Amino acid sequence: MKENKTGKEKIAGYLYYVARIAALLSVFLIFFPAFNPAKICGYISKNMSLFTAGISYSGLVEQCTRAFSMNWVQQSSFVILFVSSMITCLGVVGVAAMGCMSLGNNKLKRFGNWFGIGGAVAELLGLGGIYLAYSQVAQTIKPDKVEPNYPLKNNLIFIIVAVVLLIVTLVVQLLLPKTEKEDKYEMESQYKLFLMFLPFALLIFLFSYLPLYGWRYAFYDYTSGGTLSSDNFVGFRWFTSVFRNAATRSDIVRVLRNTLAMSGLGIATSWCAMAFAIFLSEIKTPWVRRFVQTFTTIPNFISWVLVYAIAFAIFASDGFISSMMMNAGIWDKGVNMLQSADHMWLKMLGWGMWKGIGWSAIIYIAGISGIDQQLYEAATVDGAGRFQKMWHITVPGLISTYMVLLLMSIAGILSNGMDQYLAFHNAANINTIEVLDLYVYRSGLVSGSISFSTMVGMVKSVVSVVLLFAANGISKLVRGESIV
Amino acid sequence: MAKTAQEKLEAKAEKLYNKTHKRKYKLTPGDIIFDIVNYTFFIVFTLCCLFPFYYLFINTISANDLVSRGMINFVPRGINIDNYVNLIKANEIGQAFLVSISRTLLGTALMVAASAFIGYVVTKEQMWHRKFWYRFLIITMYFNAGTIPWYLNMSMLGLTNNFMAYIIPGIVAPYNIILVKTYIESIPGELEESAFMDGAGYMTIFRKIIWPLCKPILATIAIFGAVGHWNSFTDSLILMQNAPQFYTLQHRLYLYLNTTTNLAALMSPGASTAALESVMQSALNAKVIKYTISMVSIIPILMVYPFMQRYFEKGIMLGAVKG
Repeated sequence: MKENKTGKEKIAGYLYYVARIAALLSVFLIFFPAFNPAKICGYISKNMSLFTAGISYSGLVEQCTRAFSMNWVQQSSFVILFVSSMITCLGVVGVAAMGCMSLGNNKLKRFGNWFGIGGAVAELLGLGGIYLAYSQVAQTIKPDKVEPNYPLKNNLIFIIVAVVLLIVTLVVQLLLPKTEKEDKYEMESQYKLFLMFLPFALLIFLFSYLPLYGWRYAFYDYTSGGTLSSDNFVGFRWFTSVFRNAATRSDIVRVLRNTLAMSGLGIATSWCAMAFAIFLSEIKTPWVRRFVQTFTTIPNFISWVLVYAIAFAIFASDGFISSMMMNAGIWDKGVNMLQSADHMWLKMLGWGMWKGIGWSAIIYIAGISGIDQQLYEAATVDGAGRFQKMWHITVPGLISTYMVLLLMSIAGILSNGMDQYLAFHNAANINTIEVLDLYVYRSGLVSGSISFSTMVGMVKSVVSVVLLFAANGISKLVRGESIV
Repeated sequence: MAKTAQEKLEAKAEKLYNKTHKRKYKLTPGDIIFDIVNYTFFIVFTLCCLFPFYYLFINTISANDLVSRGMINFVPRGINIDNYVNLIKANEIGQAFLVSISRTLLGTALMVAASAFIGYVVTKEQMWHRKFWYRFLIITMYFNAGTIPWYLNMSMLGLTNNFMAYIIPGIVAPYNIILVKTYIESIPGELEESAFMDGAGYMTIFRKIIWPLCKPILATIAIFGAVGHWNSFTDSLILMQNAPQFYTLQHRLYLYLNTTTNLAALMSPGASTAALESVMQSALNAKVIKYTISMVSIIPILMVYPFMQRYFEKGIMLGAVKG
């Protein structure tokens, strides 16, 4: 596939780097609200990126209902804005296609350049359309309500990128040698494979890496619907507030105590799954063993909300236990045991066990079936009893699996998930049930302190990663194997 | 006939073998006690796992006035399925059921297809900077930015109050991709090579060879994906704050469970839920409604479970191999 390259083609090769970087930049820019060139008035959400503006008209005009009915702005201006945003996005798609095709042979490159040229022109047209929409909106009779404001900086960035792309692709198109009609479109397999992966890489970037960009909220005093600017930049104030502010400190201490206690109880009882498997394998009637194994794993597959529904059916004031007690005449009135805050940690542990132990045991059951039967026979000859065999043969055979799972759960000590505690929490038990994840959710999305809870989540994430590396290091040191 | 020393030894070993194996069946009193305790424990525990489902079920199919008086505890009485019929007719629940079903089907299908494809692509050594991209993918399993940045990001991408929020972020599932990748690596490379010689492209090889051969592992991840989709409710809670039409069944259930037994509060304001109203009138109290919604959410899992159990178990074993 290697072709001898002429000088012109070499220059084209360098220019392509510029074009690809520009194309990549425009792909990223359309996802950042901070660079949205279509934010032409106060009605457009600060959280809206060009991409969102270009795919959802209803999102674009979400806050405009009143302005439309009062005739402050024309609906047609927003239609123009929407169509222009869409055209700009399509232009970016074209430019991206050019970037992809530039990895192929000359024939494919020349073909792709038309996409590049078309895309760049479409981007410029779209940006022109946005300006048109702005000039219409700017003539409003209520400037103080509509707040027309042309995002000059954002538009300039887009225009520069589009112009660069247009020039570069035109030049490259002139530089590249003409190709024969019978030539085929070809691409080296390494790039083909890469391009197959690329759309997914974009998804991974959008949903796993881009959220990290949200960490910047931890350094601002942000209220929902506001902006981030140098005015509300607070540096590390949220971080130090944990130490300075007594109320915050006691909250954090309480939440951390719950988190560590419940994770700790989970870890301290993690051997139960192994014991469950060992004793289950002592049941010599196959159908009983199968029956137990099948039905103890079912709870693992229902959600925590459903576990709560079951708890509700059994323990609520009109549930199973209350009606049994009332029928027997022991209680004269139903008691809602879910409202009581006593022994919350143990109750949560119990529900966790009920849901998870059968499932966690499967891995050990498989481990037991992998242990050499001759070991047991030899031990029997030597006169070992049932418990001695369990302790000296089965347990050592399972201990390495157990150690891996133990290290993993120690690494995840701060992340005991939210679902269980969210489902079970209520006003009576919140003090003893609120774990870190639930606290972040409640303070951020229920009470609205976005910045503070971002900070808490951020610290938690960093500590979790450090713990994971530590656990991995320990595993490497002790077992010579990594766990991640 | 004189036996050789060898034969004598063998006979002795056989005797010893029989002796030790017989000993297995000679139960000492200690063994009997152990067995009784052991069997009792497991059977009681299994019943603890099963009884709640049974209890919910008999309450939903019994006569509602008996249920409300707490008379149905072990045996159903006055069997009817009116509760289910009425519940499915209620707008909110029917819609939530549809949302849950469609996200489960669509989300799982896309996730499985994408996992198979990515799993295939990342096994190819020739891929441009394969190691880097593979790490780029795998690393995402070990960190997350936190709930709030995730929410802000989703709202930035226009995925709040939008059904696609259930589908798109779940398409790339790193853990499932690892499982598929490991599986593909165990397929003999010759199959692919010969197809390659015959001029088949990557897509053809994927469609004609890899996809059919991977079906067992794909079934496994499909089951896990589907259960995850069916059960997930925090995404509905956080992302669909202004779009009750996209609430999942689990979310609806959560809301109903958290309302007090005040009947009026069960109806969301504005929604015309005449059918739900009729359920409530015949039900006399909210208990039956809550139980019925719970059962409706559990039944799909219980129905699928027996057929899929081996895939579930396979799944956990594959995870262990990766460890």
